[in-house]
Amino acid sequence: MAKCRTKSHGEIEYSEDVVMHFSEGLFGFESETRFLPIEVPSLHPLLFLQSVEQQGLCFITLPILVIDPAYRLMLSPGDLELAGLPGKQPVIGEDVLCLAILTLHKDAPATANLIAPLVMNLRTRQAVQAIVCEGDYSHQHVFPASSPEAVCS
Amino acid sequence: MRRRQGEAILIGDGVEIRILSIDGTRVKMGILAPRSVPVTAREIELVRKENLQAAETPHDASEALAQLLKALPVEPPPPAEPSVKSDETILEVVDLGEKKA
Repeated sequence: MAKCRTKSHGEIEYSEDVVMHFSEGLFGFESETRFLPIEVPSLHPLLFLQSVEQQGLCFITLPILVIDPAYRLMLSPGDLELAGLPGKQPVIGEDVLCLAILTLHKDAPATANLIAPLVMNLRTRQAVQAIVCEGDYSHQHVFPASSPEAVCS
Repeated sequence: MRRRQGEAILIGDGVEIRILSIDGTRVKMGILAPRSVPVTAREIELVRKENLQAAETPHDASEALAQLLKALPVEPPPPAEPSVKSDETILEVVDLGEKKA
């Protein structure tokens, strides 16, 4: 088992077969190609993506269908190729894992990036930060405010 | 400025943008620019900035994250059975309930 020092979860052991491989890195982080998905039970279904090489780099993500159950994933031919998915659009949950990166803001609700989901081939673990080519999605999709007082009608 | 297929626009000395083809709502453009001028789609620049900001999240954001989870539109499924490791951190090959029933 290899070891990885993480940003917020101490040192963890992992096996190679859980690593997500982004051959082109992420936009702005082109040299970071290997990430570990870390799940914290108390924060389910959040998923932390920790860079294997850079301890200080960890993204917070959610499965995109949790944010938008109707999300339609349309990948460009280039992104399909990078994810090792030639030919047809993948089905989320069957062919690929599809995550949205979250951004926390100091005095505003968190946002999710729905333009550029992280798409990982579930068979090969090849992954890509795609830029979706259809659909009117935002790179700063605002979460609905939590309203425990909401009245059912 | 209106352009037809095959026509071009010049920007300054070194940049030429040519309309190569038009197919419904999609326009294919050819861009000629010096090496010193980066050419990127606007959304790539947006995503790059968003990634940089997302990476700035503080070390311990658990409280903010717990709040955020309350705001989710659907009730998240219960946590998966821990596979190995400590009580706090579990590493596993992800399968986050996205499979069809």
